[in-house]
Amino acid sequence: MAEAELPAPVSLRRFDLSDLDDYWIWASDERVTASCSWEAYKNKDDLRRYMAETVLPNPWFLAIIAGGRPVGAVSLKIPEAANDRCRVELGYVLAREWWGKGVATAAVRLATEAAMAEIQGLERVEALVEIGNKASLRVLEKVGFQREGLLRRYWWNKGLIWDMAIYSFTTADSFLI
Amino acid sequence: METEENRKGDNRSIHLPPPPPISLRPFDTSESDIDGLVALAADAAANRFLRRGPFASRDDAVRFLHDKVLPHPWYRAICLPDGRLVGSISLRPGISGDGAPRSASLGYRVAPKFRCRGIATEAVRAATAAAFEEWPELERVEAVADVENPASQRVLEKAGFAREAVLRDYMVLKGESRDVIMYSCMSRDRMARKTLKT
Repeated sequence: MAEAELPAPVSLRRFDLSDLDDYWIWASDERVTASCSWEAYKNKDDLRRYMAETVLPNPWFLAIIAGGRPVGAVSLKIPEAANDRCRVELGYVLAREWWGKGVATAAVRLATEAAMAEIQGLERVEALVEIGNKASLRVLEKVGFQREGLLRRYWWNKGLIWDMAIYSFTTADSFLI
Repeated sequence: METEENRKGDNRSIHLPPPPPISLRPFDTSESDIDGLVALAADAAANRFLRRGPFASRDDAVRFLHDKVLPHPWYRAICLPDGRLVGSISLRPGISGDGAPRSASLGYRVAPKFRCRGIATEAVRAATAAAFEEWPELERVEAVADVENPASQRVLEKAGFAREAVLRDYMVLKGESRDVIMYSCMSRDRMARKTLKT
């Protein structure tokens, strides 16, 4: 897949319920949600409830802003056990029309940098990507994440068992963008 | 002409010692099992790779038994034929949407004076086999070993696990973040080994 990467100023911020219509654009798109753990939303009330209950209260569930509006989300999963909190898992999702423009790369870099600066004791940001999702593997590599290996038959999602590449960015790494 | 020396040198058949006849059983609330947990945890002070250290009191061990061990999805005592408790091993099944685990995470410990006898390897093999029996949809058993713990790495390798990745700064041990090696065993690895045996 050829990518036309135009530089697009990208920023991150907390979501607000007024973002519902923008959120709906990617959250209802099956091409986008195919690689997610969740199904595309079929009605806006369900999405509003998810935003109110799950998205808004989470300080690490952030809107990716490009062209002045939310075009996706990046979030961090912080482990339950205190002993595991030297690591967080990063995930992101982006509206289809914004693929191939460097937006995800910028968002991953911004989120990783913010996490390292703000989360006490954090040494490692990790991300898991299905091995066949080349565009997503490239996003992480362009930021400066290192591929550590392949976790075989790691994730059961949507009726299939997935092999996942595991990447990380640690305090020993430098951003490439 | 065949001499004594020639015959000795020509030993092509390698006899591996038989695996130790250990058994795995659930813990119970007996005094001897509580003693066993106390003893296993006491050894942790000397073991830099164990996160959970010695119990501050016997009451703490009892609390641990009731809060963590008995309700655990799969937690077993490793026992010798004479009944002596020499270690523990556990499997934590992953969460899957339909309640049938597809992956499980394995951890174990063996008392220091019973190490280097193949006990851990045999326990890991037996636990992995039990996991694939207990959870029919299981695809993967995984375990991590610290990069500076070659003994544990060898246990997993001898038990048929494959090394997948070095995960950097993955977990905190005694105040510092550690690199670990992720190992896994797939149900089809076991089927392949079964075929080779016959």
